[in-house]
Amino acid sequence: MTTAATITPKAGWFANAMSGYGKMPLWMQSATNATLGMTILLVLWWIGGLLIASNPDTEAFANFAPGPTLVSLWHLIESGTLWETIYSSLYRIIIGLFWGIVIGVPVGVLVGYFLNFRQVANMPFQFLRMISPLAWMPIAVLAFETWDQAIIFLLAMATVWPIIFGTAHGVQRIDPNWFRVAKNLGADGYQMLRRVIMPAIAQDVFAGIRLAIGVAWVVLVPAEYLGVTSGLGYAINDARDTLDYDKLAAIVVVIGVIGYLLDFIAMKLIKRYSWHVE
Amino acid sequence: MSASNIWISDLTHYYNKKQKSPTLDNINLSIPKGQLTALIGRSGCGKSTLLQMMAGLLFPSDGAVRINGQTIVKPSAKWNMMFQKPSLYPWMTVRENAALGLVFAGTYKEKADRVEELLDMVGLKEHKDKNVQQLSGGQQQRVALARSLATEPEILLLDEPFSALDAFTRTALQTEVAQICHDQNITMVLVTHDIEEAVAMADKVIIMSHNPGKIVGEKDIPLHYPRDRSSKDFATLKEELFAEFEKIDLEKQRELEAMAS
Repeated sequence: MTTAATITPKAGWFANAMSGYGKMPLWMQSATNATLGMTILLVLWWIGGLLIASNPDTEAFANFAPGPTLVSLWHLIESGTLWETIYSSLYRIIIGLFWGIVIGVPVGVLVGYFLNFRQVANMPFQFLRMISPLAWMPIAVLAFETWDQAIIFLLAMATVWPIIFGTAHGVQRIDPNWFRVAKNLGADGYQMLRRVIMPAIAQDVFAGIRLAIGVAWVVLVPAEYLGVTSGLGYAINDARDTLDYDKLAAIVVVIGVIGYLLDFIAMKLIKRYSWHVE
Repeated sequence: MSASNIWISDLTHYYNKKQKSPTLDNINLSIPKGQLTALIGRSGCGKSTLLQMMAGLLFPSDGAVRINGQTIVKPSAKWNMMFQKPSLYPWMTVRENAALGLVFAGTYKEKADRVEELLDMVGLKEHKDKNVQQLSGGQQQRVALARSLATEPEILLLDEPFSALDAFTRTALQTEVAQICHDQNITMVLVTHDIEEAVAMADKVIIMSHNPGKIVGEKDIPLHYPRDRSSKDFATLKEELFAEFEKIDLEKQRELEAMAS
């Protein structure tokens, strides 16, 4: 950008703009780029809407376009139905994630700490990890009384693997000298866990949780197509059945926004517990 | 003559049963109180193993290590160890690292001042709130020193703690630690393979040979602190120790030749 900054203002609007960009502080450059990316996405969406509307075969789906979608989104927010829908989905995600963490972290510590355990667990875990969580649906329906429980089970199945692998990775990176020094300074088992092990692995656990949230959020929607009568997945299916394409697109936007926010929170947690100084 | 507070009697150690010669062979040793004793020898002579036994981190196959008359059964903050690597906790500040032993003991609240004083003493006054990863290697080892001293240990065990530092930092820390030993009346045991370091710091040097690891000699270093490394006495003592080592090597070689023929 230094070369752009040296061009004289007479060189035209583009060079002017580039020169201005080059003089911006870094955070403003990154904000400009982010805005640019979102604008491109919106424009593509808008063009897509025009194409759909202009073709007689697809005309019926014209409400997927940004205009009708944003109007519909506003109605969903105003009427308050959106909040119940979001609440149902977030509740399932949080409970599913809770079980993923409760099971995944201790198992991850075992896998990371004991070579024997790692060797025993490796093949079965890699095998189980590759099974789509949705493939457990028939078993989940048989095993659990309510659809809600079945969906939470699927989410737990989706989240547990990245959390196990993240935790194990963190434990393997612990410097053995940290144990030796702590022991030498008189740490008991609880203090070792609280002052050494937990802070040492926290960032890797949260990195696992971040991946887990990503997978769970993707699995949530198809899981909610089944049985339940609440949540974002149900809302999408319901909108399709009632030909409310603007509402369907609005829910898709909501899914994207919440997914982004969840990822953002997880990323902040990783940063908060990261102890590497660049 | 000051009293001893570490006694090692008839200590023999094998790491595994298939070993031909023991890692440590019939060690008898007493470490005088409030003085700095250096254990020197080539790598593999078992000096670090012996030190870890004094710390309660390892236990001998046979024989015993006693501190103040009691056989050691577990590590204690009363006899602390400084390792070759500072092994600080990178998620903590300088102060938090130095205070860790007191935090474990639950006495940090009462003794917070001691941590501040120690950090001032080791020259980290300006760095207390920094993350330890921002410090140089020498500064990190200073944090480790403050951490070891914070719990007011009776005994400080030094496992080549200066060997990874640059020459200037190493010399400065050697002088400071020897001074602390005598100012605060802490019994110190230093493991090193650096003869100059032993002469610069120790009141008494124990010489070990390897395969099997055993004690083959000892030498008093009757120099005053702070020691002048350019003095004639210093040079003479260094030469004498070198000569001892050459003698040991020669004997080893003869032994090997005798076995071969």
